[in-house]
Amino acid sequence: MRRTLVVFAIGFTFAVMTGWVAFPSALYVRKVQPLEFHHKTHSEKSGFTECESCHAFGNAGEFTGIPSIETCAGCHADKLGTSKSEAILVDDYIKRGREIPWLVYGRQPKNVWFSHATHTRLAGLACSDCHGNFGESDQPRIYEQNRISGYSRDIWGHSISRLRRAPHDGMKMSDCEDCHRRHHVEVGCLGCHE
Amino acid sequence: MKVSRRDLLIGTSGAAAGLLLTPVPWKLLGDVSIWTQNWPWIPEPVHGPAESKHSFCTLCSSGCGIRVRLAANCPVGIAGVSTNPVTRGALCPLGFAAHQMNWHPQRIREVLHHGRASSWTEAQAAFEKACSEGPLAILDGRPGRAASSLLKTFAGERNGSYRVVLDKESQTLEPYATWSGVSVTELGYDFENARTILSFGAPLLDGWGPPGRFTRLWSERSAGQEDPQLRLIQVEASLSRTARAAWRRVALHEGSEAALAAGVARVLLEEHLVALQRPLPQMSLAEAASQTCLTPDAIRVLARTVVENRPVVVVAQDGNPAVAALNVLLGTVAASGGIVRKAAHVAPDAAAEPQIDSARAVLVDASVPWEFVPQTDAEVFRFAAWDGGGNSADWLLPAPGFLEELTDLPEAPTSAAEMYAIAQNLAVAPANVKSASQFLLQIDSTLPVIEKLILTRCEEILRTRQGSVYGEKQLAVTNFGSAQKLEEELRRGAVWVGEPPRLGSFRCELKEWPTEIPVSRAADWTTAWVPPVLPPLATKLYQESNLREKPARRNA
Repeated sequence: MRRTLVVFAIGFTFAVMTGWVAFPSALYVRKVQPLEFHHKTHSEKSGFTECESCHAFGNAGEFTGIPSIETCAGCHADKLGTSKSEAILVDDYIKRGREIPWLVYGRQPKNVWFSHATHTRLAGLACSDCHGNFGESDQPRIYEQNRISGYSRDIWGHSISRLRRAPHDGMKMSDCEDCHRRHHVEVGCLGCHE
Repeated sequence: MKVSRRDLLIGTSGAAAGLLLTPVPWKLLGDVSIWTQNWPWIPEPVHGPAESKHSFCTLCSSGCGIRVRLAANCPVGIAGVSTNPVTRGALCPLGFAAHQMNWHPQRIREVLHHGRASSWTEAQAAFEKACSEGPLAILDGRPGRAASSLLKTFAGERNGSYRVVLDKESQTLEPYATWSGVSVTELGYDFENARTILSFGAPLLDGWGPPGRFTRLWSERSAGQEDPQLRLIQVEASLSRTARAAWRRVALHEGSEAALAAGVARVLLEEHLVALQRPLPQMSLAEAASQTCLTPDAIRVLARTVVENRPVVVVAQDGNPAVAALNVLLGTVAASGGIVRKAAHVAPDAAAEPQIDSARAVLVDASVPWEFVPQTDAEVFRFAAWDGGGNSADWLLPAPGFLEELTDLPEAPTSAAEMYAIAQNLAVAPANVKSASQFLLQIDSTLPVIEKLILTRCEEILRTRQGSVYGEKQLAVTNFGSAQKLEEELRRGAVWVGEPPRLGSFRCELKEWPTEIPVSRAADWTTAWVPPVLPPLATKLYQESNLREKPARRNA
């Protein structure tokens, strides 16, 4: 009887440890961004203090997302330093007119329609409410991609259990619903899904 | 220590139990379900610059104002427009998902001749041959459009006939058209000024007329009030949604609406509750009570309640002349809050009957409802965007789908005011589709093009110098310097609303009380309204939800 309990406990413990420790690491593949990018440097040294300085809205209120290479070329037409990333930026992307294939942490699936303008301008949310203090980062985080769904880990959130999370951790539909419920804003299915 | 088979089984059991306390099964379930949504063969919505444009729904003749969200010039979302004077932001579940209809599996994408693939050249040759051999009949489901004018011109030039297929709501106005000689399309219900509505089974709160028109009135003036400004009395055998929400409900024996109308008329005349003194129905009050399963007192109370709060208008669920005659008796024909005549610009058109004799070719426009099947030996050329099933035509010709063609929209059927709007073609039509007007223009290039006809209509509106244009803001027609400017504004999603209806501009006289004619029953109404196909989203919203009750449920 005792042997049975011990063997059961070994199997139980192994599964629990694997599920909580090994599984999250195995589920996500870690990818490095194509370039080092310092949000902090850009905000402190270049004077881009507002997110909208680079992540701008178009005339019709549409969100332009990550700036195009033309925006970068405004300052980086020539190399501004001696770092390897600066050389890659200028030689491989700006001079060749190629867009940088950034890995977008908050990329939503294509069946979702989301208006940044509605949330920031109409509802008055800060960018950090959903994205965290991304603008103060020294270097880009490792991009973690779910091996099965292909989504960024930022969608699920960094806590695999989703139990103890920071307010901005997670961009699932349930997170949107929770926030809307907190702010007493009702939106039907067609508000986001087309 | 030797590991036995038993140990392995127990250890596996422990692992299985432990696994349930980890995120593994739940996370894997979620991720796998997302993986199945992203298989490479599953179509993805287009991505591109997003913009919104105002237009009008063209699925039915209500012409609801819509705001179309476009991504990369492709409609991806639809919402109502709150500034639309009729619908005020309301849309039916179909309208919300109308943009999906263009990708429906039952979309007709090629010319079909008796179910086999054919070509436009062959269809045109067959049509021209049939026209040369005998009379032509053209059926139109939405009269008053620029395309209607073109169809009518073509029929006239070929000594053919142009006939209009009336929708269910317009059919309720047919008796007044017969009695007065005024076209059905010129008549409408002035619900906005009515204080009592006596409905004989008309599903007023269940999709009758343009979405939002009556439901808004009811919610503002009636819902939840003990003594409402607008009294809705529903006479219906089954406890429908409208009957449940009505101020009063009169449950009668199914099919005895004409008897109740005769009973009410008799009380109105005998108790001098109306100005007229005839025609007196032949049916006695006792007979009416017997047929309807109501007591004579209940009919008396109903008649007195009806005239208590005027103006009162009676609405039938069909073209029952006995019910319509009540409006004549109550003096609400050509009166405020009753049956009114719009400022007409369309010449009266003959209504189409399913039986079409003496025609060699029948051209059915895409606006004709799918359930209208011409009974004829003639060769039928049917334009349609979606195949509703059945074998109703010799030639099935692919027509433009939702928002795939420029079209204009006259006022909705039964509307009290004259209106005009233009629906832009916001979606790119497949290469092989043609509207009936495009088809006829290829045969006869002297016919006027749609763009020119629309401009002509704008010039007519401008000449009258009446009414207002409701766009981003309300502007009087006199503010527009030219027809081109007016057309531009209408193309941007504005709608022109004419002057209030002309009161006293026609008369209905009854020499004797009408006898009932065979009509379709209430249970058929909702089923007949169903379009040929449903988009996936509407299937969810429209069929599975209880937004529209099925007759079986209503009668349960």
